Amino acid sequence: MVSFVARRLLVSMPVLLGITVINFFIIKLAPGNPVEMFINPNTPPELIEAKKEMLGLNSPFFVQYWQWLLQLLQGELGYSFSSYAPVAGLIQERIGPTLLLAFSALIAGLLVALPIGIFSAVRHNTKWDYFLTGLSFVGTSLPSFFLALGLLYLFALKLRLLPTGGMQTLNGDGGVLDTLLHLILPVSVLAVVVIGKKIRYVRASMLDVLQQDYLRTARAKGVREFAVTHKHALRNALLPIIAVFGMEIPALLGGSIIIEQIFQWPGIGQLTMQSILSRDYPTLMALNLVAAIVVLTTNLLVDVLYALADPRIKYR
Amino acid sequence: MKRSLRIPHAIILACLLILLAACSSNGNNAGDSSGAAPAETAAQETAAKAAPEEAAEPPAAKEKVVTIGIVNSPITLNQINDQGDSASKTVQALLNDALLDINTSFEFLPKLADSVETADNQTYVVKLNPAAKWNDGQPFTTADVRFTLLSALNPKVESSFRLNFVEGTDDAGKLPEGQSELTGLKVVDEHTFELKTKTPIDPNIFKETFATKVYFLPEHVLKDVSADQLNTHPYFQKPEVTIGPFQYANFRKDQYTEVKRNDNYYRPVAKLDKIFVKVLPATNLVAQLQTGDVQLNSLPVGLIPITEYEKVKALANVNVDSSGPSEPAEIFFNTKSLPDAKVRQAIAYALNRQLIVEQLFKGQAEVIDGSVPSDNPYYNDKLTPYTYDPDKAKALLAESGWDAKKPLRFLIPVGNKVREQAADILVQNLTDVGFKIDVQKYDFGTLIDKVDNQQYELTIFNRDYYIEPSNYFSLFESGNGNNFILYSNPRVDELIHQGATESDSAKRHVIYDELQQILHDELPTISVYSEKRLQAVAKNVLVGKPLNLGMFNRVNEWDLAE
Repeated sequence: MVSFVARRLLVSMPVLLGITVINFFIIKLAPGNPVEMFINPNTPPELIEAKKEMLGLNSPFFVQYWQWLLQLLQGELGYSFSSYAPVAGLIQERIGPTLLLAFSALIAGLLVALPIGIFSAVRHNTKWDYFLTGLSFVGTSLPSFFLALGLLYLFALKLRLLPTGGMQTLNGDGGVLDTLLHLILPVSVLAVVVIGKKIRYVRASMLDVLQQDYLRTARAKGVREFAVTHKHALRNALLPIIAVFGMEIPALLGGSIIIEQIFQWPGIGQLTMQSILSRDYPTLMALNLVAAIVVLTTNLLVDVLYALADPRIKYR
Repeated sequence: MKRSLRIPHAIILACLLILLAACSSNGNNAGDSSGAAPAETAAQETAAKAAPEEAAEPPAAKEKVVTIGIVNSPITLNQINDQGDSASKTVQALLNDALLDINTSFEFLPKLADSVETADNQTYVVKLNPAAKWNDGQPFTTADVRFTLLSALNPKVESSFRLNFVEGTDDAGKLPEGQSELTGLKVVDEHTFELKTKTPIDPNIFKETFATKVYFLPEHVLKDVSADQLNTHPYFQKPEVTIGPFQYANFRKDQYTEVKRNDNYYRPVAKLDKIFVKVLPATNLVAQLQTGDVQLNSLPVGLIPITEYEKVKALANVNVDSSGPSEPAEIFFNTKSLPDAKVRQAIAYALNRQLIVEQLFKGQAEVIDGSVPSDNPYYNDKLTPYTYDPDKAKALLAESGWDAKKPLRFLIPVGNKVREQAADILVQNLTDVGFKIDVQKYDFGTLIDKVDNQQYELTIFNRDYYIEPSNYFSLFESGNGNNFILYSNPRVDELIHQGATESDSAKRHVIYDELQQILHDELPTISVYSEKRLQAVAKNVLVGKPLNLGMFNRVNEWDLAE
């Protein structure tokens, strides 16, 4: 197992490098540049040129990339073009809130989708099953921004039960209860999307397994029905479920961009949007790097979990 | 078999445990932080109250805190490099004083400077307020002025200062390579300095572009930092030593900026304890004004959507009025691909701007043609705006022989909803008289790129708000590298030059009247609307109010009613 992980990590390196090259290329391809964001005829053109030169924007593409890479190898992510804040600090500040949001949504989604999916599979083709499958269909189809605005209107504006946005009350005590209150709406929105999709996966996977012969054998030898579904069947059904939940993490990080905007959640998503709009190349590159690492790590994690869940799988 | 049966349970259990652990560690944090936070605030409060003049008084019961709503997040607190960002300028104005300030009636008020005077419109003598001191108690002197100018004008330092009219700077407004002194600057004594311009300029230009725009760096904090380290110096991420009514407390980008009272202020110390500038979507502004989470909106980047006009008017706890006319949304023509003034005039006659003002802005805007807002002293009020006359537009088009099949690329920036809606109406107007419009919506960065590469026929956006009229006209100058409309008229160039150097106000009026007349006839740009922005302020806030100009002039007098 250790050698498997080590080998996978080694393979990840060129993949990561490839991702950064492509990202760099795409970012540069976008029209506009960080220096000429505002047309102001009172800005001397010489000054604009000088800033471009200073930021190294006049060098050829590969030279710029090479410089970025060299810097990275020295453990430097550089400074934001717009605020001159160290990029590492910017990301450090934002990653926590985003992970909190994404993992809360994932766990909430898991806790709801798993039992409902199992229930739905066990009672398949009953009214309950139709109702729950229908509900999951609604969850998948509902655009998350729409749901977000709807919930905001209802809970924050009409009922005044929850805050409209942000992560903490200004000048408040900064306590966890305060953060939890702020967390409820964005997590609910993200979780609904997860739940909608995952109920169907869990249900399908369970159905598949429930029809297996060994379950009939288990029942025949007198194992109780609960044990049959929750021990024998679930264990086998878990495999594909682990995979899709693993895949959900990158999707959650991506999906939270919109949700963070709507709820003013101070996470990576907002930083990404701002950086795109101001063409802040160093920050964008670092964000892409972080995203790539998260995706590669979750993939690896899923593989490892596979092995833990299924002894048949041996990594060599 | 039995052993393996336990594993699913084990996994679920593990999940639950992780969850529990997460919760309980959160719970611990809750205890920690809620335990620590009051203690901290208490400590801060006592520290604040322990200010010299209040040492004997018992601490006041409640902190006086005002929250200002802003829509765009401030990018930076760097007072010599605001990146042209209005949101950054808003928070910087709380932390920094300039030599002079300005009010909505275009009057200059003394701040760090007691006086700015000139005998020949070229040598400006500035006398500093001898009492002025940084918030750490160090005196503010001409040494700080000199340090700031030499730092900001150093070619290695990025700065938003635009001082290429000052003697000793090159065309870019920087010190020439290898030069370590600014020849135009003469330090007379600790509290007096002289600044010489390359050519005589109107004192208002000097006051607007230098005396009200330049903020200062504390020499005693930054003197040992080399020029190439200055841009990224940690001071600018957390400028604790500044000279203004308030001082840095906390800066959370995209969330809020927190400033606290400067007890060492050289003018009457602020009555408020803290001000928060809170970032929130425009659509939440009214809701938060209503709930009291926000007490004021801000101009120009904390605009209340005009669609919420009725709603905000109806709020019992908020006073609302309208600002003077602001910088207009202008249509800019690519005069290379639309060379015939008749076609541009046809466009002007085709636009139903009155409808936009009445319906979209509910009357809270006015129609003007030129770039200069109508409250500017140099606004030419003798010009009659183009009226909505589709027949005349069609006639002019026929006369010009314009090929109606040729599509016009109309670039519209996204982000400002009302401007986008206005643009939709404009597109409809133009289509009605026979133009073929190719609407392209972009984010601002992309739009500017297209404009710079001449991939457009018309576009719409707002420029900055200036007091000095010459700033509105440099766009039309043939030699200007940023003349993206490619407009060129020798007479206009001449007038622009005369206007910028003429210091007699009556003569300037004549010059700018003629200039505006020519631009009105030739129409390289046409304004669509000049918005009167909503200024909302909670009734319990005293003195303070959102303003187009000098909103924080008297922020030290702001107070909360009991």
